[in-house]
Amino acid sequence: MIYVKDLKKEFKKTIKEPGLKGSIKALFKPDKEIIKAVDGISFSVEKGEMLGFIGPNGAGKSTVIKMLTGILTPTSGICRINGQIPQENRKKYVKEIGVVFGQRTQLWWDLALRETYAVLKEIYEVPDDMYKKRMTFLNEVLELDSFITSPVRTLSLGQRMRADIAASLLHSPKVLFLDEPTIGLDVVVKDNIRNAIKKINEEDGTTVILTTHDLSDIELLCERIVMIDKGKKVFDGEISELKHNFGQMRTLRFELQKAADIDLLDYQKKFSATQDDIEIESDGALISVRFNSDAVSVEDMLSYTLSQVHVKDINVTDADIEDIIRRIYRREVSV
Amino acid sequence: MKRVLKLHSIFIAQYLKRLMEYKVDFLIGATGILLSQFFQIVFIGIIFSQIPALQGWSYYEILFIYGFSLIPKGIDHLFFDNLWMVGYQIVRKGDFDKYLTRPINSLFYVIVEKFCVDALGELVMGIALLCVSIPHLSMPFYWYTIPLVLVALVFSTMIYTALKTVTAAISFWTKASGHITHMLYMTNDFSKYPVTIYNNFVRTFITYIIPFAFTAYYPACFFLTGENPLFNIGGTVIAGVVLLAIALFVWNKGVSAYESAGS
Repeated sequence: MIYVKDLKKEFKKTIKEPGLKGSIKALFKPDKEIIKAVDGISFSVEKGEMLGFIGPNGAGKSTVIKMLTGILTPTSGICRINGQIPQENRKKYVKEIGVVFGQRTQLWWDLALRETYAVLKEIYEVPDDMYKKRMTFLNEVLELDSFITSPVRTLSLGQRMRADIAASLLHSPKVLFLDEPTIGLDVVVKDNIRNAIKKINEEDGTTVILTTHDLSDIELLCERIVMIDKGKKVFDGEISELKHNFGQMRTLRFELQKAADIDLLDYQKKFSATQDDIEIESDGALISVRFNSDAVSVEDMLSYTLSQVHVKDINVTDADIEDIIRRIYRREVSV
Repeated sequence: MKRVLKLHSIFIAQYLKRLMEYKVDFLIGATGILLSQFFQIVFIGIIFSQIPALQGWSYYEILFIYGFSLIPKGIDHLFFDNLWMVGYQIVRKGDFDKYLTRPINSLFYVIVEKFCVDALGELVMGIALLCVSIPHLSMPFYWYTIPLVLVALVFSTMIYTALKTVTAAISFWTKASGHITHMLYMTNDFSKYPVTIYNNFVRTFITYIIPFAFTAYYPACFFLTGENPLFNIGGTVIAGVVLLAIALFVWNKGVSAYESAGS
């Protein structure tokens, strides 16, 4: 369905020294620097799959999405969606995809929402009966009824996002690209939007590619993630695999009866473990120790701790996905 | 083509609906343009109250050329005004993204999105000037005069639109080019008067380099004198076609160089 091979995008950037003097110098004798925003990314997506595309700010997620949607021309590499190359026959290609950018609306500011859909119907040449059926479905999933007669400029962010998603689905696209669809939304609206995306994926079999900073989006929607950082792919696989591979990380949390007792604990020396395997954070009497259960067993950890100090409360938890990803972003874990 | 016209009429209808919401804005815009044109005419009137003719051109001939120049400018303004925004902010802010995610030509989408009724100020003034000046002129009239007027208007408008498209497309590389469009646009003030009153440099410039003279003086000259239709009208057609070809080429190159903006 989607096939991406060695995709690259470079931007030329003029380096300016600070100040007006620097600007003037850059005007006459510019120093150019090549920024590799996307540096050789490959992956593929099956029909009907929901893929989460994650990475820290500036990792190149949006640039990849913009290349896949035909907005940007890749510097090199291949991307083929549904057998089509986005830049080759853009008009034909975009008929088969839907695109939503959470950060900016693609709707017309002054048009009532209903009119907006009527215009899109013409643009995508959706037949009348199909349009009616589609609108009923989208209305039901995204609950547009309450604001369908309002101009776009008067919609709240949550309403606007629902409106934008509906607009991208009017022509029953085969692939839906969602760039930060839940950004800036409250918990309830986020939930509605996630459910809607799920339903659309189930009922239409739409392939969904989604970028987000909210990892609960990913956990609730996607089975598979592609993680990129500095333009390169750092992980590609199922979330369960990620958890399994890095899930040996456990966190031991406890509260000391006397805060000063912390000096009695020296895990690194006791287990002669490296900084990577054991990491300690303390906040007064509250201690949390993150450790690799392959290197040090949970039992040893507990018995050593309890033999050294008196604790009020103690528990051991699995690493959650957020924790794993945080560690990957910080390059504590290599993939 | 049918689809293009249909889409265009939908957008115009939507625009007119929007207009009803912003009535005051429309009235101020159209009045402003009407007033600024009016004062320019007054200015020409003042000049001619002092002198009988300008390099052999009478008052009414000048009015005719001036009026004629306003019509293609007004048509361009009416339908193709959104190109200004491309150079000023659409590209710089990354808003051009949305024009690329719809299955219609990006240039067409940009153009069709705005319908600038303020331009009626120019069109009304242009037609009024023609109506005032024609009875005072003894213009030759052939069976093909009316068709040629239409041809001249279509291709003069094309010259305006193509020049705006090229300068707007420069922003795909430079991020902003509104001021380039503006600067170029200012030179069209020269074309409202007979080119014979200018020195060689200006004359060559507005005839062969930025051929604004073909949007007004040359075609108007033909209608006034009936002389040299090949150059006066043919030149307009050639300038329009050549510039449009360049414009489409530069636009398409620009779109593939488009870099969007961070989000």
